[in-house]
Amino acid sequence: MSSQKKRNFQIEAFKHRVVVDPKYAEKTWKILEHAIHEIYNHNASGLSFEELYRNAYNMVLHKFGEKLYSGLVSTMTLHLKEIAASVDASQGPLFLEELNRKWLEHNKALQMIRDILMYMDRTFIPSTHKTPVHELGLNLWRDNIIHSPNIQTRLKDTLLEIVQKERGGEVINKGLMRNIVKMLMDLGPAVYQDDFEKPFLDVSGTFYRGESQQFIECCDCGDYLKKAEKRLNEEIERVSHYLDAKSEVKITNVVEKEMIESQMTRLVHMENSGLVNMIVDDKYDDLSRMYNLFRRVASGLMLIRDVMTCHIRETGKQLVTDPERLKDPVDFVQRLLDEKDKHDKIINLAFNNDKTFQNALNSSFEYFINLNPRSPEFISLFVDDKLRKGLKGVSEEDVEIVLDKVMMLFRYLQEKDVFEKYYKQHLAKRLLSGKSVSEDAERSLILKLKTECGYQFTSKLEGMFTDMKTSQDTMQGFYEAMGPALTDGPTLAVHVLTTGSWPTQSTTTCNLPPEILTVCDKFRTYYLGTHNGRRLTWQTNMGSADIKATFGRGQKNELNVSTYQMCVLMLFNTADRLSYKEIEQAVEIPATELKRCLQSLACAKGKNVLRKEPMSKDIGEEDDFFFNDKFSSKFYKVKIGTVVAQKESEPEKQETRQRVEEDRKPQIEAAIVRIMKARRVLDHNNIVAEVTKQLQSRFLPNPVVIKKRIESLIEREFLERDREDRKLYRYLA
Amino acid sequence: MKKEDTVKLISAEGFEFVIDKNAAMVSQTIRNMLTSPGDFAETERQEVRFPEISTTILEKICQYFYWSLQYASGKETEFHIEPELTLELMMAANYLHT
Repeated sequence: MSSQKKRNFQIEAFKHRVVVDPKYAEKTWKILEHAIHEIYNHNASGLSFEELYRNAYNMVLHKFGEKLYSGLVSTMTLHLKEIAASVDASQGPLFLEELNRKWLEHNKALQMIRDILMYMDRTFIPSTHKTPVHELGLNLWRDNIIHSPNIQTRLKDTLLEIVQKERGGEVINKGLMRNIVKMLMDLGPAVYQDDFEKPFLDVSGTFYRGESQQFIECCDCGDYLKKAEKRLNEEIERVSHYLDAKSEVKITNVVEKEMIESQMTRLVHMENSGLVNMIVDDKYDDLSRMYNLFRRVASGLMLIRDVMTCHIRETGKQLVTDPERLKDPVDFVQRLLDEKDKHDKIINLAFNNDKTFQNALNSSFEYFINLNPRSPEFISLFVDDKLRKGLKGVSEEDVEIVLDKVMMLFRYLQEKDVFEKYYKQHLAKRLLSGKSVSEDAERSLILKLKTECGYQFTSKLEGMFTDMKTSQDTMQGFYEAMGPALTDGPTLAVHVLTTGSWPTQSTTTCNLPPEILTVCDKFRTYYLGTHNGRRLTWQTNMGSADIKATFGRGQKNELNVSTYQMCVLMLFNTADRLSYKEIEQAVEIPATELKRCLQSLACAKGKNVLRKEPMSKDIGEEDDFFFNDKFSSKFYKVKIGTVVAQKESEPEKQETRQRVEEDRKPQIEAAIVRIMKARRVLDHNNIVAEVTKQLQSRFLPNPVVIKKRIESLIEREFLERDREDRKLYRYLA
Repeated sequence: MKKEDTVKLISAEGFEFVIDKNAAMVSQTIRNMLTSPGDFAETERQEVRFPEISTTILEKICQYFYWSLQYASGKETEFHIEPELTLELMMAANYLHT
């Protein structure tokens, strides 16, 4: 058995060598060639794979690989030329379908041929560095079909035409397109790019250039953007349907360039519909569309941001410099807040909460709020208004919201110390008149100021609250100590204010009515008796009083008046008619204050408890005053406000300004000393820069003032000038 | 065994081996014969005739197919080859691309 097997093996080996018949190769190739023809003619069912494989195997084994390979090339080329002719002959719209059909057939044939010739693919081709069968088939297809002169241009034109039809709204055979494009991609990226993608992008560029021209002439900005967005989405969809995914970036670039970038500036500035109009009309959808489209091109967002910034600055500037607006500070601030809300909402809804946009918005606000030197005062007045009445009956959360908004405006202020000054004044008035709506709200705002600006900023404000609290206890103690001795006279409520914590007031005295004076003296004795080494001065300009008055026909009212007004009114307990001079002499109130107080008593409609002769709006030194018997009011309680413009008058403003400047001096000096202590030697410009940096959270110091402060410090021998370089300063310890 | 899952391999002497298709497909050549597009005779009849492979060798080859499947699924055993079959088997292996 084993020996027989051996023989078998020897015979087999021998058989191989035997086949050197020169006709053998020719004969075998004929069989294979015939098979290839049959395969292309869809006649393969009769063929035996094993036989063909064996023949190809043997040809390669017997060194006829070269013949086999070249035979394959020429046979396949022959068939492809036939195919080219038949594709070329196809009529109009059938062209692509014929091409596609032939391509599928070729692919199938190629697969079969490769399988049969697999042995050649495996051994002969790698060793001779020839193109593998499959790739060879694709190359031959490319050279003979796609790059045949007739078909090449026709294919390109047909494809582009179909794309154009689809852009025009026609329905096309997407599947066919996908197959043809897939074919081009299968033939290699170079074929796809050269024969389709490049011309496609060129044609698209021309098309969109034309279309954008046409649109921009006849559409408004919003419509144009809608159209551009639609086109962009169409192209993206087209890529996903039947183009190479890599083409998406390229084609969207074309659309972006032609439809957005080249028309961007014109769109933004379009009359009646451009960016500014969208912002004014709160067109969130359009704005959002613009943002998303412009984001795609390099400087798109910058353009939007710049135009928006310009617009905000312009409108803001108008707002803060409009003399009409300056009349009502509360409305002024409310408008600022509305403006801020409006743009916040736009950025939130349309601009994707873009940080750079938020920054632009903030810097714009900072820019124009500080254009108006009265902004700090107005913001404080706004808070004052809110805390006096605006927040009555409002829930805690809403109060917080309002306060947060105020803080936001506060952050924009450069002169925070001016705000502090006014805030202190307004807070003082609120506390002393007991007009604050909610102590929680007050404290909450102070806490916010503290977190924003530090302890120093609010320590005095907090001191004011402490004084109020202590005064309550003091008053309680006072009444307990006095006991029944006081029940007859007027009720006195004293707030003991620490000097320094409260806005400094020039001490103006006046003659208090004797009834009041007695109680006041009792209190003074009590207070000084319990606290050693203190000094009390009466701040009559800050007090208020409730007095009961009986008018003609027995009508009774309670009048809420200031201390000065009370003093004047008390005079009429004993007289019905007094001249200005007489009043002035009796009460000794400074003339401006007195005039103001008389004006509110005699000239305010519905609150004129005094009558004046002659009747006029202003108080003259020659005027006479009468007790107004006919006064009547719907209410029992009548509040007689002083005619104080809530806003400061021009001289007051100057005064406050001066005080602020005065207060800044020590702060600047302190900053200079701090810096010099650390640096020892520094030149002038650097000092100015550092001081500005240190103080910018409170105010923007004026370089001239800094220079003056430096000079003053040199005088007081904190610093000295360098002997050689006069620009250098040295710190003297 | 269903008819569709099997294939008939026929040796030079006319012996028929009916084996699992997936076993036969261990050979890349047989796999191509059975799966190539277009209707070759082999695909249609589900049988392959090997006029140059003797029965002995084809039997060994079929054994190898099954052994190879087991080996691939993790059962590592020796596959015994009689020395006198070696050369012929190697040639067949080259032909069948296994």
